[in-house]
Amino acid sequence: MAMDGIELEILWSNLVSAASEQARALQRIAFSPVVREAGDLACALLDRKGRMIAQAVTGTPGHINTLAAAGEHFVEKFPPESLVEGDILITNDPWLSAGHFFDISVVTPVFRNGKVIAFFGSTIHHTDIGGYGVGAGARDVHEEGLWIPRAKLYEAGEPNELLFDMVRHNVRTPDEVLGDLAAQVSSGRVGSERMQLLCDRHGLDDIDELSEEIIARSEAATRDSIRKLKGGTYHGESRFDIPGGQEILLKCALTIDVDEGSVHVDFAGSSGSSPHGVNVVLNYTHAYSTFALRSTLDPDLPNNFGSLKPITVSAPEGCIVNAKYPSPVAARHVVGMYVPMPILKALYQVAPKQVLAEGAGAVWTFQVQGKDEQGEPFTSAMFNYSGGMGARREKPGLGATCYPTGVAAVPVEVLEAAMPIEFTQKELIDGSGGDGAARGGDGQVIAFHLRTEDDWLLNAVPSRLKVGAEGFEGGEDGQAGRFMINGKDAAQANKMVMQPGDKVVLETPGGGGYGKLK
Amino acid sequence: MGGYAFAVDIGGTFTDIVLRHNDGRTWVDKTLTTYGDLLDGFFIAVEAAMEKAGATPADVDDVIVHATTVVTNAVLTRSGQPTALFVTEGFKDVLFIRDEHRYDMFDPQIEFADPIVPRDLTWGVAERTLANGTVSMNIDEVQIRQFSAEMREKGAEAVGICLLNAYANGTNEQRVRDILLQEWPELYVSISSEVAPQIREYPRAATTALNAYTRPITEPYLTRLSKELETRGFASRPLIMMSNGGVLGTETASRFPVRMMESGPAAGALVASYYAERLGLDRLMSFDMGGTTAKACLIEDRKPLVTGLFEVDRMYRFKSGSGMPVIIPAIDMIEIGAGGGSLASVDSLGLLKVGPRSAGSEPGPACYGRGGENPAVTDADVVIGILDADNFLGGEMQLDKVAAEGAIKPLADRLKTSVPQTARGIFQVVNESMAAAARAHATDRGIDYRGMPVLAFGGAGPVHACHVAELLESTTVIYPPLASVLSAFGTLVTPVRFDLARGSAGGIDWETAGKTYADMIAEAGIALEAAGAPADVIRFVYGADMRYAGQQNEVTVEFATDPSTGRDVDAMREAFETAYEAQYGLRLPDMPIEVVAWRISAHGPAVERHGTPELSDAATAPKGHRDVLIGDAPESVAVYDRPALAAGQQIPGPVIIEERETTIFILPGWDASVADNGCITAERRE
Repeated sequence: MAMDGIELEILWSNLVSAASEQARALQRIAFSPVVREAGDLACALLDRKGRMIAQAVTGTPGHINTLAAAGEHFVEKFPPESLVEGDILITNDPWLSAGHFFDISVVTPVFRNGKVIAFFGSTIHHTDIGGYGVGAGARDVHEEGLWIPRAKLYEAGEPNELLFDMVRHNVRTPDEVLGDLAAQVSSGRVGSERMQLLCDRHGLDDIDELSEEIIARSEAATRDSIRKLKGGTYHGESRFDIPGGQEILLKCALTIDVDEGSVHVDFAGSSGSSPHGVNVVLNYTHAYSTFALRSTLDPDLPNNFGSLKPITVSAPEGCIVNAKYPSPVAARHVVGMYVPMPILKALYQVAPKQVLAEGAGAVWTFQVQGKDEQGEPFTSAMFNYSGGMGARREKPGLGATCYPTGVAAVPVEVLEAAMPIEFTQKELIDGSGGDGAARGGDGQVIAFHLRTEDDWLLNAVPSRLKVGAEGFEGGEDGQAGRFMINGKDAAQANKMVMQPGDKVVLETPGGGGYGKLK
Repeated sequence: MGGYAFAVDIGGTFTDIVLRHNDGRTWVDKTLTTYGDLLDGFFIAVEAAMEKAGATPADVDDVIVHATTVVTNAVLTRSGQPTALFVTEGFKDVLFIRDEHRYDMFDPQIEFADPIVPRDLTWGVAERTLANGTVSMNIDEVQIRQFSAEMREKGAEAVGICLLNAYANGTNEQRVRDILLQEWPELYVSISSEVAPQIREYPRAATTALNAYTRPITEPYLTRLSKELETRGFASRPLIMMSNGGVLGTETASRFPVRMMESGPAAGALVASYYAERLGLDRLMSFDMGGTTAKACLIEDRKPLVTGLFEVDRMYRFKSGSGMPVIIPAIDMIEIGAGGGSLASVDSLGLLKVGPRSAGSEPGPACYGRGGENPAVTDADVVIGILDADNFLGGEMQLDKVAAEGAIKPLADRLKTSVPQTARGIFQVVNESMAAAARAHATDRGIDYRGMPVLAFGGAGPVHACHVAELLESTTVIYPPLASVLSAFGTLVTPVRFDLARGSAGGIDWETAGKTYADMIAEAGIALEAAGAPADVIRFVYGADMRYAGQQNEVTVEFATDPSTGRDVDAMREAFETAYEAQYGLRLPDMPIEVVAWRISAHGPAVERHGTPELSDAATAPKGHRDVLIGDAPESVAVYDRPALAAGQQIPGPVIIEERETTIFILPGWDASVADNGCITAERRE
């Protein structure tokens, strides 16, 4: 018998609550600044088949939806019957999980009466993974750091010493990375304990029936919401430029099948792979595609295996959004965060009220290495700045705020306290958002230099320096960004050697406007 | 005569008063909040209570305590005068750029509240202080005088000053202030190095701007209050309830009005701390459920948790990040969108959902008969039988059970079950969501909530608390007396307290630490003495916000003595790691530690103002029985009147105990007992 809507709500909300507690425990104890400050993490509960059935109410789309895919890859390699209590699984394989080595996924099986009933998984962005470091400059994936295949981090409760040793010797910040792995392991325990209590309280031996019900209802509701749209194939394309100046074209054909209640997104015709580390694996393209569809069409529906199933994504092998081995992928967010834009343009034709005009796209990321005033070397954590968001049909776009991610920026004072950097400006650029009935969000100008006597290294990943964000329905385009050193335009994909007095000025792009200015 | 004290709590809807004589007798009253002039309601309430007690103003020679929503209200309605903000040149959009965070990743339609200071009232000052506190560029007097003239022209009568890195050195801010005051002595000036001297420019600027904005409203309000009390012949000066769970004199409150925000709810948490002390419980969770929201606060070591950050004016009430950050010490509470008016619905997946939409008090739940058509939590409580439709508010308000059933019927049809089972589902689902929020709140703070006793109050709190406690694996629920005016009572038992924090540039610099502590002790001492605490009884608690270098998770650590005297880094490390381990479950012995802020918490003496409860002399039998749908079938449950219970009386659950403003519902498997202090305690049978 199917569960009723009361019992199911109680059980289901408890599963979501367990995953949320796992996420909160993880965010609290993580070292990685992007996890703590920007919430760049994902936690999810997977059923014994590796299907995601609940996610924490936090996290970024690039992580949560890739973790959903990773679950099934784990179960394929380590079937539940083969696991014993105390086993914990790990990988950072870009093609099986989150698209670059920095993101490590850890999955903890939950045992009840000697049998695996579920898994708690987490993915977080680690501080370092060896290799090239932050940025798009590596020539192939092997230069980008340590590749951890699907493996057991713990076996029957015992740490996999060889693996720990490999990690310790291959990253620049072993304390932080191992500390964050420990945090992932302990957050999995928090989730498992909550799950056991839930089963005790409701007299459950497993969650198989519950999981089927969640997946079936989510899938049906998603298909129903797709059926409300007008069927057909819609096209959208988006242009932008990446570090080094290359222009990228993302093209999508969005097919809405109202009989099936399904959507297929195909990226045929998009740019080929890049020599820089901005290539995107299909997992990640899938994550941002489903995110764009779900967040505009019906953001209230739960995100799980069932609701993701009616949405399929394809792209020609080897193109920039379906990177093949050994393409470099470390800065895949640069292109990945543009994936929603052609989809929104296609969707505009069927759901104009829910979409937004093109925005600045990816956040600009930076890392600085040098010597402080005492001559001690330092490497900063990664920090980032946003351009303007595209206008919504009835509201302006937000200034200096990113879509699709929307991660927070590290405060100026925190950066100045951590290294000899001095900022001289951080203000909105009036009018950089495209004009229109609804205006695009403004970009911002940021200026900084280092207080140092030595050369220093700047690793900068700006984008949209040539092609501004396109407006919708007669709205004007947003202004393209500028990246200047000592007043001269500069843009390259590699780390730059800087002189002590060099001044860096960033002008992040504005968002596109929506509708003709009246 | 003499021997009277009173407390007035002006909340969003009601103004409550508790008048107490030192023999323990109390009188309470509740009137509607008067938005035209909040002080009208203050004195209406005072007169009503004094009349009941037959007391005169001259009899009030113990404390007068006041918690007020005046500051929060000014911000929410933007009723203040134009206010200016001075920042470092190049950073004038600090309130507009915020921290760049889009607080709901999955909703592209989100918005933010307008900043409290518009762009055309923001000036960029040419100056610079570095992160280590060195002033690398002095201010230019001519520029400040020119800005002062421009500001005047635009009609601003208050200004906030927040310069970069002023948390490490406030010299430039002080110089700007001094020049402005020379130009314009009546100007209200707030500087960030006094209001909130902590690292992170956006929250500090937002807090300073809010303080600046609310000063021209708050200072005259508090001055009028003092004058009016004096004119009416009251013997005492007022004390003001602050957000940190302490009371202070009007002078300090006038300078730092941001510290009065959310002080009413803070007083509710203080009651929990008061009962923890009285009942000898080290840990407690306060659970206050009203018409639209529920609030919970954790009490550890008999003290409410205090946080350094909260938000006001949220665009989406329950979404963290959608409001303005305020970095001042405040009672750490979670607010959940679940109350008696929360509406139930069936979503597109066929699931029963409750809240956060609420019917409020107008039109209210369907059973109020005021036109509400959607089923609310209170409707469910009536249908399953916990609430008596004929005895709501002591029978003053008739509830319409048929209307409640009618409102629930469409949901029952969609769920393919009966109306009573759906009502029971609403009761369970809202309790689950409150328990989930409380668990998340505790987990965030590294606190094991299991087994924590629950203190239940608010109109709907006692109805739901026992089930929520079960879901939190708690075995004890305490129902205090005076539940309807508990916040006001809370201010009466709140000691004088002032918390100060000063940012540190990192590492541990003993020279600076010693000076910082001395400055804070001097400032806090003055504030406490002004609030009537004699210098020789003030207790100073030394503390610091510490972290592992490179980690952002600061832990507030308390020290037994001034750490800058002994300069014992190992002892400090031990104190930090003990606290860190308790919260995060690990120690990192190789990682260096640093101090982010030094703290002083100054405490006045503890106060004992117990009330004498209303109890009967002899144990009574139930006044009746009614059917309540607890499990799958209705069960007959005994019903008592609370005032008819006697101290020492034991009642096995399930049981309903009615009082005028609320109803206590205790589940099967629990036993209730009545203490001579008036508390009813429900305990789970083993």
